[in-house]
Amino acid sequence: MISLRGVRKTYASPAGPIEAVAGVSVDIAEGEFVSILGPSGCGKSTLLMMLAGLENITAGSITIAGQPMVGPRRDAGLVFQDATLLPWLSALDNVLFPIKMMRLPREKYVARAEELLHSVGLGDFMEKRPRELSGGMRQRVALCRSLVHTPSIMLMDEPFSALDAITRDEMALVLLDLWARHRKTGIFITHSIREAVLLSDRVLVMTKRPAVVVADVKIPFARPRDESVQDSPEFTAIVARLRGMIEHSIKVAA
Amino acid sequence: MSATQLGDVTPVAVAPPNLERRDLSRHPALQLGLPVLFAAAVLLLWEFLCRAYAVPEVILPTPSAIYARIISAWPFLVQHAVPTGTEAAIGFLLATVLGIALAVLLSYSRWAYAALYPNVIFFQLIPKIALAPLFIVWLGIGSPSRLAFSMFIAFFPVVIATLTGLNATPPDMLRLCKALTARSWQVFLSVRFPYALPHIFSGLKIAVTFAIIGVIVGEFITAQAGLGYLILFASSQAETSLIMASIAMLCVVGLVLYGAVAGLERLILRKYGH
Ligand SMILES: Nc1ncnc2c1ncn2[C@@H]1O[C@H](COP(=O)(O)OP(=O)(O)OP(=O)(O)O)[C@@H](O)[C@H]1O
Ligand SMILES: [Mg+2]
Repeated sequence: MISLRGVRKTYASPAGPIEAVAGVSVDIAEGEFVSILGPSGCGKSTLLMMLAGLENITAGSITIAGQPMVGPRRDAGLVFQDATLLPWLSALDNVLFPIKMMRLPREKYVARAEELLHSVGLGDFMEKRPRELSGGMRQRVALCRSLVHTPSIMLMDEPFSALDAITRDEMALVLLDLWARHRKTGIFITHSIREAVLLSDRVLVMTKRPAVVVADVKIPFARPRDESVQDSPEFTAIVARLRGMIEHSIKVAA
Repeated sequence: MSATQLGDVTPVAVAPPNLERRDLSRHPALQLGLPVLFAAAVLLLWEFLCRAYAVPEVILPTPSAIYARIISAWPFLVQHAVPTGTEAAIGFLLATVLGIALAVLLSYSRWAYAALYPNVIFFQLIPKIALAPLFIVWLGIGSPSRLAFSMFIAFFPVVIATLTGLNATPPDMLRLCKALTARSWQVFLSVRFPYALPHIFSGLKIAVTFAIIGVIVGEFITAQAGLGYLILFASSQAETSLIMASIAMLCVVGLVLYGAVAGLERLILRKYGH
């Protein structure tokens, strides 16, 4: 379980302190997939960076499995908006990059890396360089890379925002499938309400900066899910409700 | 024909677009041929004007006279090209090693950066040629002073390009490394240095031309041997065609050294270019 208790973050800046996150308290169960929705610049990435141990926490605490967060933890997998692959490495070597950086024996992970690439449909592209892959394929490689070292948490910061609409829908299904196989705790930032509802067990709605959580919505669809849940009236109803909440949260804070 | 309903898909016949526009200026034969042709035209015009106006050889020798001088003075030209080329190459290599080393230090030490970087920029801005006589005062008129001066002026573009390159890694990539608890030497070897390579090579291509300038300036002052010395000597004898022949030889030295760097760049960026 990941527990956030009164987590705050204030950045120092030449123009004075910037309060990015103002007291977030949430519990996320192991194996749960949680999406975070909120206005641009509200502090979502900041929260994720604190969860990755890359930003220190100004006040409050984060504990993961009872252990207080002190710095980078090896059991988190990160995915960013940009695939951030190394241009000179093959897809397979990019997936194995965390193994190298963590100084683990490569031989033990090659099979897993290959299997991951197969599972996202890149079995025939393992030796290709990033520039030979499409944007969607690159982001698939990045997803595999975030899982190769068997992390317990996947932290994803708008991983599909840079993709075109069609590829983006496709990637959501790739992630749905990948997550069903691996069942990591997932924290997923997005600006797409539909994407959040399709993928998540819970959706958190945040306010404008400084961010607090104003709504915590449970998504009731059974797992394993597929794209057909999007056609149900409940899906449409939840999306509409969330849209209303987001609009409200922006107005209230303004 | 039935009325189109909402959601009906109407297939549209698409004619293959003719996108092949022929841009002749991009043809490979022209890319090589055109500059050669242009240079040949200039040489011909030069030859013609010199003859038509009977320009004295001391003022401006014809290309054919220069060519004849290159042939007659060939062993002599080679004998002077060797020290110039060797010293420039060594000066360049020293500048490369020291320049990259300083850039790495600056990018890893806040203190070193704060103390040294403004000074590096300061030296980059001053006309370094003016400092050449100092090197003679300190190191004498032999090879060491020319090498040191050549290295000195070639050094700054290497430092600045390497520093720019070492900062070219996308911030998210560095975050990822940090999240994976990578050691800083690992991040340097596997990420930052390879990311810097295209920048480093653009710095090295500037540095190699600077290294030659450094040696020539050194030879102008020390007047011992080398193409710089030969140019100085020929001008004192009013041997304009020998000056021109030496300059032609210098172009060859420059092309060989630059070609070596550009060739290595091609080889390395085939893997590390992006
Ligand atoms: N290193 C930093 N120093 C100072 N201020 C920062 C820093 N990083 C972020 N901020 C500020 O903190 C606020 C929250 O930023 P953050 O990137 O977390 O927002 P976000 O919700 O992820 O936005 P977006 O949806 O656009 O990605 C912003 O106002 C930003 O300007
Ligand atoms: Mg963000």
